[in-house]
Amino acid sequence: MTSFRYQDEYTTPPARQITPTTIERFEHVFEVDPSLMTDNVAQQVFPNWDTKRIVAARWDHLAWIHTHFADSVISGEELLRSLDD
Amino acid sequence: MSEHHAHGTEPSSIELLPIELLPIDTAQASSDFVDEWRNAAYNCYSSGHKFCREVCPVMQVTRNETWTPTAFHANVVAMDKGELDIADIAEDYVNCTQCGACELRCPNTLMLGDFYRFRTRTVDLVKAVRTLAVDTGIHQPQWKTWNELTDARSHEPVLGEQPVGQDSVREWADGLDIPIGGDDILFVDCEAAFYRTSVPRAVAQILQMAGHEFGLMQEQWCCGGPAAEMGYRDQAMRFARHNLDNWKASGAKRILVLDPHDYISFTEDYPKYFGAEFDLEIVLVLEVVAEYIRSGALTPRVAIEKTITYHDPCRLNKRKGVWKEPREILRSIPGLTFNDVDHVTQWSYCSGGGGGLAIEKPELTALISGARIKKASELSVDTLVSACPWSERPLSAAGEPENIDVVDIHEMLAESLGITVGGSRGAR
Repeated sequence: MTSFRYQDEYTTPPARQITPTTIERFEHVFEVDPSLMTDNVAQQVFPNWDTKRIVAARWDHLAWIHTHFADSVISGEELLRSLDD
Repeated sequence: MSEHHAHGTEPSSIELLPIELLPIDTAQASSDFVDEWRNAAYNCYSSGHKFCREVCPVMQVTRNETWTPTAFHANVVAMDKGELDIADIAEDYVNCTQCGACELRCPNTLMLGDFYRFRTRTVDLVKAVRTLAVDTGIHQPQWKTWNELTDARSHEPVLGEQPVGQDSVREWADGLDIPIGGDDILFVDCEAAFYRTSVPRAVAQILQMAGHEFGLMQEQWCCGGPAAEMGYRDQAMRFARHNLDNWKASGAKRILVLDPHDYISFTEDYPKYFGAEFDLEIVLVLEVVAEYIRSGALTPRVAIEKTITYHDPCRLNKRKGVWKEPREILRSIPGLTFNDVDHVTQWSYCSGGGGGLAIEKPELTALISGARIKKASELSVDTLVSACPWSERPLSAAGEPENIDVVDIHEMLAESLGITVGGSRGAR
């Protein structure tokens, strides 16, 4: 069960630098380094639930795409080999 | 662009003027609005993928390009260029249920939102345009009346001419022996408190059966969410302030929410209004109940021999990602034949009841709810189960000619728990 508490949702977990341009606040959720987000796209205030919702929705959507449109699943190796052939 | 003057609104004295020539208040408000939304608007306008169009319930039934999420953002670009002003576009923004499908399906959200900490926010944009319109004196006639009546009665006029008010807001609970106050407060939205009273009665009795202690507010007002959705932000904030003060005065720690629209108000609007002062816990009753079933505190035993499908309420599924628990609850009820449609497919489903659309344009709501019922009809079901009181009125109306009954998930669970619910499902 989830519940909403202001302090829990608006306190962002500390960032860990993953690459020179990427940080991680939630496990396996990567974000562009905020210092690079100043010119063209203004970052928004994200409560934590929203980040998690988007990540979950993306996985759900990819699974939905597979269910509805993928007849078979091939490996990256097979894909590369088919390009060479 | 709408022709608002043909429909009786009266902003004509300020239309078609460049921002610098508008009356100062309107000019300043428009300028502030454009400053706030310019970045988001250009990021939408420059993308061009338009996945939003086909998941939009309004677009599905009207094919009106001026009412698409893309157009809603492009208008801001036009305002920035001095080509349009708020009077030109205000009426177009009526045509949105704020279901959130467009902003979730937009690749800027779904594929990149968490990476950039920037996502499409059409719902917030629509609310901002409506607020700008109201603040500059442009009103939609039905919304104006609705919010005036809400202000006068402290509750939405969901029963039409029949009065609603403080003296009757707890009548739905007659005979249930629910105390006032306590750590956990059950908040009941206007539609459920006055119109579909079977929903809060079902919820209350389910919680009582599970041994969950809770009370009602000393003086509950409307959550203010509908006013915020229609652009009456100051009124919405006044109502929110009343409710927060009332909760704090009674020492409440947790608010139990049965209505998805209230859940949005309390987890998105109230935090914006009050910041860290809003230190209460907000809990969705559906999730509480699902946990009670998991733990064995509740076990549905009465078989319900119906063929059903489930309607994912937009504000739970698309806007909050809550879709598992309702299915868990329904699968725990013996006797049901459940013809489910997955929650991602349902990103493009909507009842048409949200965002004030049913108040200002009931004919458009009817088209959307009719399309939703048609999808249920194709599954050969006799019952459509929802978890949102605001969806249940338009869906019931659309379901009647198709012989599809519309039942709230709490009503159905209560029945399977052997509870005699009582109350009204809206028939007056």
